Amino acid sequence: MENTIYAGLSRQMALRRQMEVVANNIANMSTAGYRSEQMLFVEYMNEPEGPGYREDDAVAMVLDQGTVRDMRPGPQVRTDNPFDVAIEGRGYLVVETPAGPRYTRNGHLSLDVDRQLVDGSGLPVLGDGDRPITVPQNAGDVSISANGDVSAGGQLLGSIRLVEFDDELRMVPLGGGLYVTNQVPADSADTELRQGFIEQSNVLPIVEMTRMIEVSRSYQSTSRLLSDEHERQRQTIRRFGQMMTA
Amino acid sequence: MRSLSIGATGMLAQQLNVEVISNNIANMTTTGYKRQRAEFQDLLYQSLRRVGAASSDAGTIVPAGVQIGAGVQSAAVYRIHEQGTMEVTDNPLDVAISGDGYFQVELPNGDTAYTRSGSFQLNPDGEIVTADGYRVTGPNAIPEDAIEISINDSGEILVVLDGQVEPQNVGQFQLAIFANDAGLEAIGNNLFLETPASGDPQTGVAADEGFGDVKQGLLEGSNVNIVSEITQLIAAQRAYEMNSKVITTTDEMMRSTSNLR
Repeated sequence: MENTIYAGLSRQMALRRQMEVVANNIANMSTAGYRSEQMLFVEYMNEPEGPGYREDDAVAMVLDQGTVRDMRPGPQVRTDNPFDVAIEGRGYLVVETPAGPRYTRNGHLSLDVDRQLVDGSGLPVLGDGDRPITVPQNAGDVSISANGDVSAGGQLLGSIRLVEFDDELRMVPLGGGLYVTNQVPADSADTELRQGFIEQSNVLPIVEMTRMIEVSRSYQSTSRLLSDEHERQRQTIRRFGQMMTA
Repeated sequence: MRSLSIGATGMLAQQLNVEVISNNIANMTTTGYKRQRAEFQDLLYQSLRRVGAASSDAGTIVPAGVQIGAGVQSAAVYRIHEQGTMEVTDNPLDVAISGDGYFQVELPNGDTAYTRSGSFQLNPDGEIVTADGYRVTGPNAIPEDAIEISINDSGEILVVLDGQVEPQNVGQFQLAIFANDAGLEAIGNNLFLETPASGDPQTGVAADEGFGDVKQGLLEGSNVNIVSEITQLIAAQRAYEMNSKVITTTDEMMRSTSNLR
């Protein structure tokens, strides 16, 4: 009896979630290394049982199954900062946190007080052998080569570790550009670093805007469906009432 | 709805972005100014359906969960310490550093500040001071009867006194370099202070290993690239508008819900 309203409600709940995902994409339009996300919906069949229902009276509800990340690379912009690196390819940088290794695509690095190479949040970036890379005092200009070798004044200081995963979609975002996963990282051979560049977010503003219009219009039409359904029920009850008194 | 506050974080971030860009544009002709860049990070995520959670008793797992982000935050506004363009001024007390290093300036409170702006002058005692009258560390007072001041690449100040032929050395500029230039704290007036993030200054003289050269008669202009700043400003403004659209759209959705009955 109330199935129309419940199906509409499931649609509206899904649209609200999608709106939140679109809003987060737009908010992160200038976040380096951010990957845009999209909602994945599935049809959820509900077969009501009991008297008055036939076998094929199934009602299709909407269920938000997952968020999928768009893995296309973002555009690279030149910053001319020697500690900015853009990652070309499927690889991730490895940073050390007290809770274990985390992975990031944000290549805005710097040196901390101990002259260790750290990411934007001050977490050490790991090199080969999972050791942080330290740049000695007055070592000269730091250069980072395409395969991650960090050298200063002609002296090799270490190599930034680049890893990749079988299933990038199973990596969980933690905020701050960090991801965590229980997959075993594999060294990425065909990933390259470009010094002096930053990979921007891959959010396509026009796509997000059209998606937002779509969400808002669908939401409104579902609202109209709900109020029409409400009106239909009210009229039915009124007519039944008139028949009774007649 | 969460998208209201997500849109608000986006607007705040873009506002900061515009502020940073406008400060860069305003300091386009400031001697020794280093351009800044705003850096953003995504905020934490709420997992509504966890990745890798079991989706049936047959051992199948959820390939992609539902994670909803809470918006954006500003991570840092960092300075890009790239060399600025050199401008010829032919003023004997204008000096620029070509390469790494900062001049040390003695603040009135006794602290030491650091600057790349080498537009110096003489005070009544003949000491070399900044445009604000703060003494520059290194050189001694220049005698009153000096008729010519020349500064060489290693920052030594040589003066020719009236009636003499041989130049006299009256001191040398002390320079400082830092492990992490981006960690210096800007206090305005082209001055920087050391912080725990910048590391302790390593002092030395120009043309030493790791230090730049001092060039007389030149000033280091700002390293602001006006074309890239303007394009970034346009992008930031559009991003701001789009975030405000998120808020309007959310508002419309909420209105259509409250109009249901």
